[in-house]
Amino acid sequence: MESNWAAEHLQVIRTLMERSALYRRALAPIMLYNGIVGSVAAVLAWRLRICPPKAFIVYWALVAVGALAGSLLLVRRQALKDKEPFWSPPTRRVTQALLPPLVAGGICTVGAFLRPPMIRGLGPPVTELWLPLSWVVLYGCAIHAAGFFMPRGMRLFGWGFIVAGCALLAADLARDELPHYGTAHIIMGTFFGGFHLAYGLYLYFTERRRAAA
Amino acid sequence: MNPEPFLQLDRVIHEKGRLAIMSMLAASPELSFTEMRDGLNMTDGNLTTHIRTLQEAGYVSVTKSFQNRRPLTTCAFTASGRRAFTKYINLLEQIVQQSRPQ
Repeated sequence: MESNWAAEHLQVIRTLMERSALYRRALAPIMLYNGIVGSVAAVLAWRLRICPPKAFIVYWALVAVGALAGSLLLVRRQALKDKEPFWSPPTRRVTQALLPPLVAGGICTVGAFLRPPMIRGLGPPVTELWLPLSWVVLYGCAIHAAGFFMPRGMRLFGWGFIVAGCALLAADLARDELPHYGTAHIIMGTFFGGFHLAYGLYLYFTERRRAAA
Repeated sequence: MNPEPFLQLDRVIHEKGRLAIMSMLAASPELSFTEMRDGLNMTDGNLTTHIRTLQEAGYVSVTKSFQNRRPLTTCAFTASGRRAFTKYINLLEQIVQQSRPQ
């Protein structure tokens, strides 16, 4: 009887410890890194005039791979520095939360690559805006889901992507004229570059202030 | 059954609410008051009382600061808090071990 009670207590402790272990690893550096990668990639794409949908998709898929690889390296470096396992329970939970919307985004991207969403005007074909805006909304969903295992601001950050992405998607559907070839890159640069940079700077300064206090 | 482990259990930690707070702090370097309140579904008053008891026992340190001009209260384990929690877990494990069929 007594041991049942003790075993239940241990189980409660284990559950609470797992639930409260928030993922905090290298958030500011990851955000800043992704912000810089997104901004530079958008400017570069604009300058190189990457507008046909297939080129657009391949270009941004490569940027995403670079951003992901860099982020993983930052996480690994932090884990080594703190002498923690890389695949810790919080890291596992964050990854599990991120995966469904990101996989959905990947499937949409493959579909769009096979049947490119392009608009033909007088100039070169232009990528339809629903594709980058879908990436923005799905990325927001992924961040919001992962935010349940991260500090509270992360969910708000996810909501920013979702709300702004949906608003622009609605505006795009109501629009008649052709988008400029650079509009899709501006969207990518603003959200994946600007948003990350802004949040990364916010995290950097608030974490530094908290550490000083 | 040897009652010794049960008698040695720390009464400060043994209370359900305080044990929950200690369990959460054991998994994080520090937690804000709101993170704990939301995670444990406790009222502000209840959580404050438990934290004060743990603070008086020397198990938890409380830091008050400002974030974006708003007050931020964070709690963390002290060294003696971590030791007491580890001891409490070990005693619970002993109690469980004792009653296992040999």
